[in-house]
Amino acid sequence: MLSLQHREKIAVEALYDMYSASLFGVISRIINDTAIAEDVLQETFVKIWHSFSSYSSEKGRLFTWMVNIARNLAIDKIRSKDFKNQNKNQEIENNVTFIDEQRNTVYKPELMGIKDLVQTLKPEQKLIIELVYFKGYTHVEAAEELGIPLGTIKTRLRMAILELRKHFN
Amino acid sequence: MKVEDLKAYIESGILELYVLGDVTPAEKLQVEEMASKHPAIKAELDEIERSMELYAEENAIEPSEHLRGRILGSLLTNFGDDNNFPTPTHAEREKVVVMQPDKEKETNFYKYAFAACLALLLASAVALYNLYSRLNDTNTQLSAMQAQNQHFSNTVSAKDNELNLLRDTSYKLIHLRGTAKSPESIMTVAFSPSKQKVVIDMEGLKLPANDKTHQYQLWALVGGKPVDLGVFDATADSSGFKNMKAIASADAFAVTLEPRGGSASPTLSEMVVLGKY
Repeated sequence: MLSLQHREKIAVEALYDMYSASLFGVISRIINDTAIAEDVLQETFVKIWHSFSSYSSEKGRLFTWMVNIARNLAIDKIRSKDFKNQNKNQEIENNVTFIDEQRNTVYKPELMGIKDLVQTLKPEQKLIIELVYFKGYTHVEAAEELGIPLGTIKTRLRMAILELRKHFN
Repeated sequence: MKVEDLKAYIESGILELYVLGDVTPAEKLQVEEMASKHPAIKAELDEIERSMELYAEENAIEPSEHLRGRILGSLLTNFGDDNNFPTPTHAEREKVVVMQPDKEKETNFYKYAFAACLALLLASAVALYNLYSRLNDTNTQLSAMQAQNQHFSNTVSAKDNELNLLRDTSYKLIHLRGTAKSPESIMTVAFSPSKQKVVIDMEGLKLPANDKTHQYQLWALVGGKPVDLGVFDATADSSGFKNMKAIASADAFAVTLEPRGGSASPTLSEMVVLGKY
């Protein structure tokens, strides 16, 4: 950790090798376009590196801090004007498959394992994880989207994560 | 805080939202405060974080290999921009240490070189200005000298002419003496019958100065008749010889004071000098 704060080159390489796949997985769930997802991963590492001094291990795990940076950048990206325009400009024929891709985040063969895992969750738990973790919804937005009270959303999210905890233990 | 309250707090789902970054700044501070006060909450948070981390690991997608180089490269570039470049190896660190003073020296060298150039330019400008004013002075002196020289050569050639005239044996000098009207007056006429030339010596002239309405007129007496030889002015600073009208022979020369421009015949009462050939 000390070496990280000294911004050693070896440390940044280690950081990348340890966390790039996990972060890229999360970013790729939010952004389907690989090239844009790669850009966001790069932005994520730059931001992590520049704001490293603001991370404190007392406040939580390093990955939690990093993945929140990645998720925020990814969500900012899909909500940005450029990204929306880009999607609007797509041909109508392409839109059918594009929408399909948006709906089925588990098309990629390398993600089959997750599909299985997510399927161990109850459907409503799966949905809340999908929305909040993969689609970048806030719980308030998810509540609006699903027409469910905020309290229920929070409980479902907690139950889903408890399921995951059980699974990993 | 009671154990039940803690449990209720945990079960509210706020900790999950905290881990997902989906909380307001106020809620964030509250969770952090609770976690620091209550180990149970801290432990719960850690559990949630750990499971989300494992979940992400299961979700992991290996980014393409070219991205690794690109991202690490961009980070290294950013270090350079920050001037915070971490030097990972001893060798590179040494390089940086050696390079900096070199760069400084180089900068100093250019600083001094520039200062020297500026000083040289200033000195050159001053020297050039001095040289230019000296050249101007010299030019002025030279033109003064040339004018003087011209004046001298003019004088010398005039004197030469006078001398040649005096050496010329065909000339005869006739001294005209003052008449009763002007006994002090005297003048010299040089006359060469062979060359038919009459010249008066203006420098040796001693006549009362004439006014603006009058002029002296030289006459030659040929066979008792006066012949006009031209007019002249008598002033204090007149110099040299003056050529008069030509005549082949004369018995005597006389000068009378006439209205300016001369008269057809002499006013005898105004005769000032007279001399016989």
